Amino acid sequence: MERLFIILVLFLAVFAGHASEIEVCKTCEISSIQKAIDFAEDGDLIRIKSGIYKENGIQILNKSLKIIGENYPVIDAEMQGTALSISANNFSIEGLKIINVGKSHTEEFAGILVSQSRNFKILNNKLDNVFFGILLEKSNEGVISGNHITSNARSQSNSGNGIHLWNTNKVEIRNNKIVGLRDGIYLEFVNNSEISGNFCKDNLRYGLHFMFSDEDIYTDNIFENNGAGVAVMYSKFIEMRGNHFRKNWGSASYGLLLKEITDSKLENNIFEENTIAISADNTNRIEYLKNDFKNNGYAVRIRGACYDNFFKENNFLYNSFDIGYTGRLNNNEFTENYWSAYTGYDLDKNGIGDVPYRPVKLFSYLVNRTPEAIILLRSLFIDLLDFSEKVSPVFTPANLMDSQPLMKKVSW
Amino acid sequence: MKNYIFLFVSLLLVACSTEPEPIVYGSDACDFCEMTIVDKEFAAQSVSDKGKQFKYDAIECMLNDHLQKDTKMAVKLVANFHDPGKMLEVDHAKFVQNDSINSPMGGHLAAFSTKNPQAKKAGIYTWQELQLKFKE
Repeated sequence: MERLFIILVLFLAVFAGHASEIEVCKTCEISSIQKAIDFAEDGDLIRIKSGIYKENGIQILNKSLKIIGENYPVIDAEMQGTALSISANNFSIEGLKIINVGKSHTEEFAGILVSQSRNFKILNNKLDNVFFGILLEKSNEGVISGNHITSNARSQSNSGNGIHLWNTNKVEIRNNKIVGLRDGIYLEFVNNSEISGNFCKDNLRYGLHFMFSDEDIYTDNIFENNGAGVAVMYSKFIEMRGNHFRKNWGSASYGLLLKEITDSKLENNIFEENTIAISADNTNRIEYLKNDFKNNGYAVRIRGACYDNFFKENNFLYNSFDIGYTGRLNNNEFTENYWSAYTGYDLDKNGIGDVPYRPVKLFSYLVNRTPEAIILLRSLFIDLLDFSEKVSPVFTPANLMDSQPLMKKVSW
Repeated sequence: MKNYIFLFVSLLLVACSTEPEPIVYGSDACDFCEMTIVDKEFAAQSVSDKGKQFKYDAIECMLNDHLQKDTKMAVKLVANFHDPGKMLEVDHAKFVQNDSINSPMGGHLAAFSTKNPQAKKAGIYTWQELQLKFKE
């Protein structure tokens, strides 16, 4: 009786739970990934054993599959178009290595292309020598995590983006490492998404790039030695927290470029050794709270038409210029920041300097008009000029000042 | 002495040259939107009468910038979509606007040489038509 029961259970397990597992390897019955996909049914798991699979244009259409690579099987697209394209709901891709994706200037070839999909996971893949890495179009509710994408955009000066999202909502991009592409992560028309813990280095243009994307959050990312760190353009309601922008050096280089962005918040970010830490153009209602600006050329350069920005409890440490300004003062408020260049005193010992600090130097005003004047940066004459301007401001906006400069660094 | 005069005069001439400088991709920044110029198929550039160089990462940036500025431009060039890296005079170019073209600033614009047979197809503009379109 007991034996009969066991047999019955086994019987049920095989037929009722019809999700089966398909194995792909060079010596298996199924030796190509495309064949396994064609053979698979909804809900199946495809396990790809290690080996080199010279395949491109692999397609998954309307099948919910789980694809797992064991010991990083290599999909070599041999410079011919897209490696893997998917249009399906509820799928996951894990542990693949995709190399040699074709390059083109009219088409967007990618390592993994996801279009018109919902509820997906792309985890722990390695992509090398790709044009676009992971490209999402019109897809919602997904996770892209732990992927490692590398390419050679700098030497080729022609490349796609590492993770490229277009017309996509509710995606989490976590803990990816992206080195040597055009933009590390590119978002166009992407809302309600979260980007955290990524590391973007040596990318040709930006580490992270927002275009027309609203209500997104990016936290705890590191952006190093990219053409520029992050560009947030034509977007609103963006939250930026705990990011590290460093070593973005060069004439067109910024830690963070803000252009036409409103109602956003920057908190606990560290800007270190950038030519311009933040360049802001047409930015309104932005709160800068508790950020560190360390050893930058400019800490914040504000170009025309920036209204109602608010700076509080930031540390401005050893920057050549703390604030650069072109145009008029438009209601921007600085209060309770720490300025390493502050030379005032605190007689009543309340931790707040008794004389206001003016962060805009006359010289930065000159340099804005004539960039070549920068060679005079450390000259005595310029120091005298700055001093006389400090005593009686003529050129720099008189009411642009921090009336409550802190005597001690803000610790956060 | 004569040599110095020659040097001075030639410097003057160089200073006023309206010869367009080649764009350094991956390093030059757009004069309108500040983005680094990387796409060889969408770039544009112009040189003013007085020899000031303007470079753009996209044709739509050049259009918008010229609308804002009153500067007279002696040279206006756009990238040839079919031959990335080569520049075309705007008067020798036809412009296509189509959602499938992913130009950097969302203008969906690309330029083709008028000699290209495809340029005869529908949905195309001349530079003048395009300027009117962007003014709206």
